Amino acid sequence: MALDPKSLGKSYGPYRYEVGLEKVREFALAVGGGVPSASFSAAPIPSDLQPLYFDPEYAKGTRHGSVVAPPTFAVLFNIRPFAAAVRDPENGVDLLMLVHGEQEFEFLQPVKPGDVMETVGEVTVASARGGREFLTVVCQSRNQRGELAVRGTYTAVIRTARSGATHASP
Amino acid sequence: MRRADEFTVGERFSLQRECDRYRPIYYAAASGDFNPIHIDPEVGAAAGLGGVILQGLCTMAWAAEAAIRLYGEPTRLKKLKVRFARPVKPGDTLTFQGVVTKVEGARVTAELEAVNQRGEQVLKGGLAEGECE
Repeated sequence: MALDPKSLGKSYGPYRYEVGLEKVREFALAVGGGVPSASFSAAPIPSDLQPLYFDPEYAKGTRHGSVVAPPTFAVLFNIRPFAAAVRDPENGVDLLMLVHGEQEFEFLQPVKPGDVMETVGEVTVASARGGREFLTVVCQSRNQRGELAVRGTYTAVIRTARSGATHASP
Repeated sequence: MRRADEFTVGERFSLQRECDRYRPIYYAAASGDFNPIHIDPEVGAAAGLGGVILQGLCTMAWAAEAAIRLYGEPTRLKKLKVRFARPVKPGDTLTFQGVVTKVEGARVTAELEAVNQRGEQVLKGGLAEGECE
């Protein structure tokens, strides 16, 4: 399997995603050292968890007026064109050999529960070099007011047989 | 909260995070990234990774937290760029280390990296930009 250079310029989306309070809280717990559960697996909330991500009462008293998602919560919706591109059989990506090489986010507007995000993305790099293939997808998410809220640039590195599968690092 | 002119070039910051045994599964549940290399040790081994590895974007979420603690507020973080240098595995303790490299108007730029408990770089070339008005 080889990455098809014709992937370059392909676009994916739009994808719609509605941001939910409990999903934001679960994400905050998972990255904050807690457990994303309010059920049997529930654990104490880590003492240093940012209350803006989690506590609606606290958040009400801030200039934001409501809970704000942790910045990288954006992957929940922003990653979708990238995910579609790597899974698109026409592009020839070997998923088991794929590692996430580089990532860039621009956080242009806060993301809050109730926001409805629409995401589109475009393949901007599809190339091979030194036994590795590179696939870059730039994904842009706008909120319900049409504001560009998050721009994510995802770069996948695909190890090919020639590069020695067991020694490459992501 | 500090304004940009209260930051100094050369100021250092750090944050420690542990990838405990179930962290990749917790992050999978929260993020939707159930790629088997993150949750199934046999698949991770077959991919030459010696078991499961943590999602790179979880490591990046921690890098974001390190920068946010520098800037003082989550929405001050405007840009974050990282390169994933080496897999993070359950049992690893990561130290994120950064330094302020530029203060220009309201914008505070910092470089950061993360190393594991053996001092190996797991995240490199990190660049954060914060708007501190």
